[in-house]
Order: sequence, then C-alpha cells, then structure tokens
Amino acid sequence: MGSFVLQRIFQTALVVLAAALVSFAMFRYVGDPVNNMVGQAATLAQREEMRRALGLDDPVAFQFLHFLRDALTGDLGVSYRFGVPVSRLILERLPATFELSLCAMLIATALGIPLGVWTALHRRSATSHLLMILSLVGVALPTFLVGIVLILIFSVWLGWLPSFGRGATVAFGGWTTGLLTLSGLKALILPSLTLGLFQMTLILRLVRAEMLEVLRTDYIKFARARGLTDWAVNYRHALKNTLVPVITIIGLQFGNIFAFSIIVETVFQWPGLGLLVIQSIQFADVPLLAAYLVMIAIAFAVLNLAVDLLYAAIDPRIRTGMLSARARA
Amino acid sequence: MTVAAAVHRWLDSDLVYDFRRSPVAIVALLVTIILVATAIGANFVAPYNVMDPASANVIDARLPPGATGMGGEVYLLGTDPQGRDMLSAVIFGLRTSLYVGGMSVVIAAAVGVILGLVAGYLGGWFDALIMRIADIQLSFPAILVALLVDGISRTVMNRAAHDSLATTVLILAIAASFWVQYARSVRSLVLVERDKDYVAAAKIIGIRPLAIIWQHIRPNVLGPVLVIAAINLALAILTEATLSFLGVGVPPTTPSLGSLVRIGNEFLFSGDWWISVIPAVVLVLLSLAVNLLGDWLRDALNPRLSG
Repeated sequence: MGSFVLQRIFQTALVVLAAALVSFAMFRYVGDPVNNMVGQAATLAQREEMRRALGLDDPVAFQFLHFLRDALTGDLGVSYRFGVPVSRLILERLPATFELSLCAMLIATALGIPLGVWTALHRRSATSHLLMILSLVGVALPTFLVGIVLILIFSVWLGWLPSFGRGATVAFGGWTTGLLTLSGLKALILPSLTLGLFQMTLILRLVRAEMLEVLRTDYIKFARARGLTDWAVNYRHALKNTLVPVITIIGLQFGNIFAFSIIVETVFQWPGLGLLVIQSIQFADVPLLAAYLVMIAIAFAVLNLAVDLLYAAIDPRIRTGMLSARARA
Repeated sequence: MTVAAAVHRWLDSDLVYDFRRSPVAIVALLVTIILVATAIGANFVAPYNVMDPASANVIDARLPPGATGMGGEVYLLGTDPQGRDMLSAVIFGLRTSLYVGGMSVVIAAAVGVILGLVAGYLGGWFDALIMRIADIQLSFPAILVALLVDGISRTVMNRAAHDSLATTVLILAIAASFWVQYARSVRSLVLVERDKDYVAAAKIIGIRPLAIIWQHIRPNVLGPVLVIAAINLALAILTEATLSFLGVGVPPTTPSLGSLVRIGNEFLFSGDWWISVIPAVVLVLLSLAVNLLGDWLRDALNPRLSG
C-alpha cells in the first residue's frame, strides 16, 4: 500500500510541476514582461531598474523557484486585460462555474440512473429503444449545438427562459449565488441542461449495462426462486449492486463536466471560469492563462489521486499487484 | 493474382458480406461518400467561390433561403452576414472541417503507432516513460488538452504568425489530444506479438530490430488502429467544430462548419436561423455518419465486442 500511495503522490507532484514549468515559461518568454508593465515614456535606466526589481537578472532556475513561491502564496500575477490580480479574478468567477457544474451533475444523475434502470428492466419496449437511439444521437451531437438548439426553442421561439448571463445573484462574503433569486434559477436551467445532457446519456448507458449484467447473476435468480417480489429483487438486490461502479464513474465525470463547462459558458455567456479562459486566449492574456493551467493541473491531479487512492482502499488487488486503478475503472 | 481475382476475393470477404447485411452501414457510407466527394470537389460543386473575397456582396447580406440577390443571383440556402452564399460557404466549410479532422487523425495515428511500436518492442525506460505520459494525459479530457495546446500556442506566437499558422496549430493540437489511444493499443498488441515464433526466427537470422518492428510486427497490429482511426475521425471533426465555434480554431476568414455556426449564433435572435442551422445540420449529419461507420467497422472486425 505504502509504495503505491507514494508512487501516485510522486506522479501527481510531477504533473503539477510540469504544468508550473510551462506556465513559468509563458510568463517569462512570451513578450517582454518589463515592456508589459512600464509606460511608453520609461527611460532605459528605469527599465533596467524594473528588470532588477522583478528579479529578471537572476539565473532562470532561481526565477522559477521565485515563481513557485509566489504561486504557492496565491500571487499569480496581474491580468493584462483587466489590470487586476489573477487570483482575485479566478475567485470571483469560481462560484458561477461551481454552481453550473453541480446542477448539471445533479440533472445527469437524477435522470440518468432511473432511465438506465428502466431501460434495463423493460429492455424490449419501444420506449427503451427510442431512449437508446436518442442517447446515440446525444453522443454525436456536440455540446455547443445542444445549447444553440435549446436557446432557439426556449428563448427565441417560446421566450420562456433567458439565453445568456446568470440573472440576479446574492453575495455571501466572497461567494455569489444565483440559486436564491427567480431570475438566477431561470438562467441556470438551460446551461445546466446542456452541460448535463451528455453526462446523462453516459450514466444511462452505464447503469443499463451494469444492471443487465447483475440481473443475469445467480443470486438474483435465487432471490426470484425464493419468491421475493419483483420490486424487492430489482431495487433492493440488483440496483444496490449496480450502483458501486456507477458512483465511481460519476466521481471521475466531474473532470469532464469541468472541461465541457468552458463550451457551455461560451454559448450562454455564463460569467464563469470557462468564459474567462476563452476570452484570455483570444486576448492573449498570458498571466491568466498561465494561472489557469496550473490550477487545472492541480485540480485534475488531486481528483485522480483521490479516486485512485479510494480504489486502492476498496480493492486490495490494486495494492498488491501492479494493477492500474484506471484500467479497472 | 490478377486484379479481377483480387476484386472477387474482396467482394467475397466477411467484411463485405457483413456490410451488405447492415442497412445502417450502407446509408452511413453513402452519406459519408457524398459529403467527402462534395468537399473534395468544392471548387466545382459550389455555385460561388467563397474563398475569393470578391464573391461576398454586402448588399445581399442575410437573405433567407431561396432569395434572389441584387444582381439576380439565386441563393438556394440564403446568405450569411457578409453576403456570402450559404450553400457555397457550407461546402467550403465542410472541406475545411474534413481536412482538419482527417489530418489530425493521420498525424495522431502516425505518432501513436510509432511510439507504441517502439515502446512495446524495446520495453525498459523508454516504454515506462511513454506509458507514464500516456497515463497522465488520459486523466485529462481530450477536448481540454486540445483547447489548452491550441490556446497556449496561439498566445506564444504573435498575431501575424498565428493567423497564417492557425489551421496547422489546430491540427497539431487535436492530434496531440488523440495519440494516446493508438500508442496504448499498439503497445499492448506488440507485447503479444513480440514473443511469437516468427519474431524469434527473424531475430535469429539477424534482422535488425527496427526492421523487425516495421516489416514484421507492424502489419500484424494495424487492424485495431484502423478502427480507432475511424471512431476518432468523428471525434476530431467535432473537436474542430467546437474549437472553431469557441473562436479559437480556424482563422476568422476561413469557413469551417464550426466557425459558420459561430457567425450564425450572433443572428439567432433576429430570426435568421438558417445561418447557424444549416452548417449545424451538415455537421451532425457528417459526425453521425462517420460515427456509425466506425461503430460498424469495430463490430465487424471484432465479433467479440458486438452485442
């Protein structure tokens, strides 16, 4: 166990360090940092002064250590585009992305699991076939088109729901939420539906496959032979055993939700992190992009480390053999 | 064997037999062929050459499908905000999307196959290094990898350079997000082939390792690569469309299915639905056809996976 955990932690640290290195290189070598900070009228002497003050004369390895120290203390530089510290921008935008992702995941789970169970139990019904075909179309339909179609139907034609923005928000300290106002909730519906749809089809297919597998096992046959009701067999015995792998996959899907939120936020002009990133790419806002890169590396590395360690804790085979946790997931 | 015999043998193969019994595969192949042929012949098929700025006519901007322009031109599918013929724009856009998707699949497959072959055959530290990188990359969603590689390269290059290189950068970024699958599956196949007698025999008669890898092992591991490439093509086309829709893909002057939807998106509220809906329909048609074709190929080549 010890060596497995150490190996995974080492790998995680390596990923974060590599991301930090790329991010540092962007900072240091894209454009001239001094030019970006001083005015047009600065003299050569002032520029030299600035250069020394920023530590740009130090050896590169030294500068990298400085960069790491600053990043660890939350100093991620100043955005070229907004002129405010990057860390503040990111913290401002985080709640919007978080709420959107959470709602999308809730929709995906709340619809995906029951529909998956239903299609497994009523395998031959016409509705099941229709659902399976629809889920195939869901895979071929890119996320941004789903968003546009929903906007076309519910905003342009029916005029029921807003097509952009977050509505009115309520602030609690540094955290803003749209969940407490009517306009905030209305604005949340279309984006979270768009983001959740693809995950829903995934969960539906997974639950269906797992459920069909479990329904074939001997203990289910035995439970039926004992004369248990269909309800007890299907839900108390089969569903419970289906959910173990499903829950793990849902945990891993959070990473995907985060990636796809970039697309959904652009379609709906949702003021979250994703929209910020797309705009910083278009405006070549290097400090923001660099900070985002490090942040996302840390977030994903930690998420995957957590899932792997959880697996190792549950499944002793991973600890002893060199079986990859991901291969089992 | 004569050509006629070869054709006959091909028509008699399991693959063709399976194909003829699958209506879905036949329709998917027909749709794919029509779309690809239209894209290749864009210069002859499209009524107007959209790549030529002179074809845009601002007076005729945003006309609905079937409208007639000021100069008597007929626009079957309407015009876009710059007065370009939508039908022609979609045909040229289709060409861009297929080109970017196809190129990125070819590059990803080439890099992945080579790395997988060498890693699997040599083993040792090279194998460990490649597979560790692959593991790490797999923990990130492919679209995020493509977006970040593309976004960072654009930022690093200056504006003038990136406008002319944008399409190349896009292709490389998409390729960078897909090579892992090829490398992993080729490597696992090589691990099996490596211990077979024909490889041992080749070693004994003194063939160099590189020649063994390329001439003896490679032909035996290419089947699955074809399947991955077919399924990846649909994904690559969607990735291109998504990045171009986000405004970080092809340069603004180049029509692609994604960038056309992006342009149309701004006019959705004025009721000009055709500007975004028409390229979107073509995109879905293309991705669905290629997807179904890939799925069929996977099932036909690997009966164990079907069902």
